[in-house]
Amino acid sequence: MSARVTRAAALCAILLCGTAWAGGDPQRSFVACPIYRDTDQGRKSGCWLADDPASGVRYDVGEGLTKPQEGYQVLVEGIVTQEPDVCGGVVLRPVRTAVLHEQKCPSAEFTAENYPGRRYVLPAEMMQQTWVPRPVPTPPFSTQRYVLLFDYGDDRLIYQYAETVLERAAIYCKTSGARVTIRGYAATEPLQVSGQLLREPLSLARDRAEMVGEALTRLGVARAAQRLQWQGSPVALDPLPTLGAPLPQSSLRRVEITVEPAAERGPAH
Amino acid sequence: MQTVRSGIGLAALVLALAPHCALGAGAAQEATGAYGYARWWTAGEPREIPQRLSYPTATGLIATLSTSGAGGTADQPFFQPLGGNGRACVTCHQPADGMSLSVETIRERWRATQGHDPLFAAIDGSDCPSLPQEQESSHTLLLSRGLFRIARPWPPRDGAGRPIDPQFTIEVIRDPTGCNGDARYGLHGPQPMISVYRRPRPATNLKYVLAVGFPFEPKTGLPLPLDPETGLQVSGNLLADMRATTLKGQALDALRSHLQFMGEVPPATLAGIIAFESGLYTAASVDDRAGPLDADGAEGGPEALAAHRGGELQYGGQPVWQEFLAWKDGSTANTQLSETQREFRRSVARGAGLFANRNFLVRDSAGITNMGFGNPVRNSCAFCHNMQRTGMDVAPGQVDIGIANQPWASPSEHMPLFKLTCLAPYAPHPHLGRVVYTQDPGYALTTGKCIDIGKITAQSMRGLAARAPYFSDGSAQTLRDVVDYYDRRYHIGLSEQDKTDLANLMSVL
Repeated sequence: MSARVTRAAALCAILLCGTAWAGGDPQRSFVACPIYRDTDQGRKSGCWLADDPASGVRYDVGEGLTKPQEGYQVLVEGIVTQEPDVCGGVVLRPVRTAVLHEQKCPSAEFTAENYPGRRYVLPAEMMQQTWVPRPVPTPPFSTQRYVLLFDYGDDRLIYQYAETVLERAAIYCKTSGARVTIRGYAATEPLQVSGQLLREPLSLARDRAEMVGEALTRLGVARAAQRLQWQGSPVALDPLPTLGAPLPQSSLRRVEITVEPAAERGPAH
Repeated sequence: MQTVRSGIGLAALVLALAPHCALGAGAAQEATGAYGYARWWTAGEPREIPQRLSYPTATGLIATLSTSGAGGTADQPFFQPLGGNGRACVTCHQPADGMSLSVETIRERWRATQGHDPLFAAIDGSDCPSLPQEQESSHTLLLSRGLFRIARPWPPRDGAGRPIDPQFTIEVIRDPTGCNGDARYGLHGPQPMISVYRRPRPATNLKYVLAVGFPFEPKTGLPLPLDPETGLQVSGNLLADMRATTLKGQALDALRSHLQFMGEVPPATLAGIIAFESGLYTAASVDDRAGPLDADGAEGGPEALAAHRGGELQYGGQPVWQEFLAWKDGSTANTQLSETQREFRRSVARGAGLFANRNFLVRDSAGITNMGFGNPVRNSCAFCHNMQRTGMDVAPGQVDIGIANQPWASPSEHMPLFKLTCLAPYAPHPHLGRVVYTQDPGYALTTGKCIDIGKITAQSMRGLAARAPYFSDGSAQTLRDVVDYYDRRYHIGLSEQDKTDLANLMSVL
């Protein structure tokens, strides 16, 4: 890259990104009241912003699996990028936002103010309609492991993320005659964020495991083939999943599904 | 439209239809066929059921197609007074009213029978069974809004009849019908009940109502629930509060409550009802202002409903109500149309475009804005009314758009008002907090969950012209009222022309 191009890129970054990250730790984790900016680029296109109380920097936090809700604080976890500022904040990507339902705050809404926003992009992998044939695995079968991430403090299966993972796991399980182990985790170690102590109860690990068990049952995996386990104080995933876990702490809130085909398990024990 | 039910009225209607009868042979056949049958179908009355049956509405014709073929009512339990009060299924699911029941028809039956028709049975055709039944004032909600009393057990029960521990307490704040405080039928009676009042849903187009378009239910994140009898997933789009998930469950619920059937229902009776209603397709077929609704590239009418698959999701390239977009240019190729007719067709097509593409901020609507999309979220009517050819929600459609919950519910002195308090440690209602005032707890009376307070299942939009008033509580007297409600609720900013176009679209579905 020539020096001219480098300078141009740097200038561009300054002009477009404003307060964009210029080095140091790119990880951000904070609690804030979300701001909705009504940029109109079609369906689901508005911007979500949040100010880090520690630095005063405004971030664009709208690209997460779960979007904020006006009137409730959000836990933001993300990685600072130098993407163009189209919403009025430094872009965090990947980013997760979790709605803190017990922590109210004023609703805040901005007009577009000449920010273009961005068009909504469908997830790369989408649930298909029921009549679309699904790929069916063929022998030889082997042990499969699936990971589902959850929002902080929540056992809800995240829409347009969890269902394709669950369906794949269920199909593999049913096709291979497998037993499935569902291990739920909760981030029970306290986490200090923006002056708040965030800690998930151990019961949430069980709730998450049971939620996944119910989902697999509804997808045709017999209860008798399921083994549910749960625990607190999990270890972060390494490497982090490319989708949904910007920070190691984001991966603590998860369920692991292990599908063991009959041929892999060996004699009954 | 009262006049069309008299001989003079019918003659006037035939004359009124004459211009569009000239548009095609189909319209002429429908107009002729419509008058061969009395409008009201009495339970147990021996009649022939034609394969296609159409009736005049205020704006055209409503047609019902029976794909199971023609036959007689004697062979169909749907038409038989099976229970103890003289009603049949058809009593509240009349062909002339799009297989539902308009308030106009209800009033006419009151006038014709002085309130002695089984339609006005005390159990749910009156404000409360304990009231003096011969008085018109005891049937206020049925006669004013077409609302039947639905008695839900308290605490709620699951599918197997076991009590659910509810996440909220319930208090009766306003009880104009007296039924929620009634010693026998009320909340503190021997079998505690909550009385809510709702419109009957159309018993037709059930292929769409039951379609499982996707295996998951985005509002909960879980896959759709299973029918314990078959092990198959259910759509969740049956009934306002999803208290039954299969046609069998719905039929049993209706037989035991609305028809006051005692004892075990014979399997052949259930099978007969389900087979008959499953073969019905209903839609507006002719419009006085547009002509036949399947003309010049449009695909209105019940035949198209019978021909297509249920549960298909609309999307940008295939928007919902695309079947009327062919009229965008006013059908210029058809030289027989008047300019008035052309403009009406253009209006319908514009309405279809608005429905799918006019984005606005949806906010504070549980079932939409608390499922990950954010609150608010920008989208159009088709965000939720997304099933091709019916405008139902493929998802399925338990949503709180504010019809029942304050502060958005229409002020209704004749409707009950409940105060629901969400208990710790359960999460409060996502948009309304721990205390919610509602005229109908809706889906929460099935699940016992705070998050479901005031959610009502979105229903099919076909045949609307035949079955006013609208919304589950009958609070919208006209289709324009429906449009006005949404415009007010979501600050859409519709122009007068937009509102007219949307109402015109809905009138031809």
